[in-house]
Amino acid sequence: MAEAAVRPDQPSQLERRLQTLSRVLTTRAQIAQTPKRMVWALNKARLFRYFPVVPAQQRHRIPLLLIFAIMNRPSILDLRPGHSFVEHMVKRGYDVYLLDWGVPGIEDQDLKFDDYALEYLPRAIRKMKAVSGVEEFSLLGWCIGAILTTIYAAMRPNDGLRNLLLLTAPLDFSNRQGLTFARWTDSKYFPLEKVLAAFGNMPGEMIDYGAKMLKPVDNFVGNYAKLWDIIDDPRAVEAWHAMNTWVTDYIPMAGGAYRQLIDDFYRKDRLMQGQLVIRGQRVDLSRVRANLFTMIAEGDHITPPCQSASIMDKVSSNDKELFRIPGGHIGIMAGSQAHKLTWPHIEQWLGARSE
Amino acid sequence: MNDGQSESAKPFDPFEPFRGMRDAYLDAMAKVMVDAVNSEGYAQASGVMLDAYLTASAPFREALERSMVHALEQLSLPSRQEVTALAARFTNLEMRLDDMDAKLDAIVAAQQKAAAKTAEPPKPAPDSAAAGAGARPEAADTKPPGRRGARDGKR
Repeated sequence: MAEAAVRPDQPSQLERRLQTLSRVLTTRAQIAQTPKRMVWALNKARLFRYFPVVPAQQRHRIPLLLIFAIMNRPSILDLRPGHSFVEHMVKRGYDVYLLDWGVPGIEDQDLKFDDYALEYLPRAIRKMKAVSGVEEFSLLGWCIGAILTTIYAAMRPNDGLRNLLLLTAPLDFSNRQGLTFARWTDSKYFPLEKVLAAFGNMPGEMIDYGAKMLKPVDNFVGNYAKLWDIIDDPRAVEAWHAMNTWVTDYIPMAGGAYRQLIDDFYRKDRLMQGQLVIRGQRVDLSRVRANLFTMIAEGDHITPPCQSASIMDKVSSNDKELFRIPGGHIGIMAGSQAHKLTWPHIEQWLGARSE
Repeated sequence: MNDGQSESAKPFDPFEPFRGMRDAYLDAMAKVMVDAVNSEGYAQASGVMLDAYLTASAPFREALERSMVHALEQLSLPSRQEVTALAARFTNLEMRLDDMDAKLDAIVAAQQKAAAKTAEPPKPAPDSAAAGAGARPEAADTKPPGRRGARDGKR
């Protein structure tokens, strides 16, 4: 009797699952929904300011500028309403700005870290200061964005940078055995110049393939198996859909910057060795004086923990904190536990230093 | 009792028996593959494959590029190189405009500072003063001055 009651439902349940599967795999979720306006633009770069939602008297004085990697969309910082780092910070009274590097075209193939860190970033900061009317500011750099903000902090220590937050920052490349990317891009094997001669910019699909190949079964099979397991849970499916929308939005990396990333960082570890030269000047990490917060993701396979810890001993900052958290490279900021574990800690640290 | 009810109410999932088996297989495969891609052998093999592809495709790419440049010339259209050079000039112009924009911002800020210094302190009724102090910064933050907004909008 019980079997007879269940059976007629089976086809419709399977049908529903397949419809959901088809929808999330063939459509794009609505992401980056927090209201904002563009306040500055240069070439492909755009600076956005998020509309404040708390009264002026309750806001923090120091604005916060978010800098993400140059080969991914920064929308991961504002993934979906109710689960967005940007939304979280705006609701807690921060004047939040986001620098979107945009999508480099073939005309941008010569852009280097020099241009991003010492041309685009200082100009965006100049505009942010003018718009906010405050001379001091906080910078949050994540992934390659952390390299750019570190270079900026070392090269422009007197620009008003009060707080520097580095999330999963790939800065130290000395432990070559621990870095799969370093092995793959070794000069013995990886034809860097041939790749750039053929494509100009490093294609987003190749970057994505490289990142996924670090954990091939998890990324190419496990991810979809997980989707099938959660297919009857609408909230979990929407979270998966939003993340998949971000992950599959490939962006090429400017050829000049990619050459520097591989040659100066992965192959020669020039930043930590004190040999990195940007615009003719050596990047001296001891010139970083801003309050420093470094977050390490213990389960990060893209930027292993060994890459982010040594910065703490190189800078001159008196106020510095190294925070380790369980999770992966992206999961610590956009995963289901981010609003409980990561964001409150960042907010707590920054709140005490933003008045 | 309730647990028992919810168990019996749970619809039959034909894939459930395979889940455990699948997860065990994926875990084992994941470990094997992570070790494989972390090896020198994989780095060497992927490098060789990429190099071979790029070397083999280079003559075709170059031939295509030459013929494309020739075709564009015949059609009196700019080549990719010319468009790229033009884009670089536009970016330089944008930087000049950005510098001018920053100077204007500085002038406006200096004028506002000077005006605030020279202006006589207003003597409104206590009630309206309190309301004004609370409202002004909010308005300035959510809606910037028209001149600045107009310049931003042009981009």
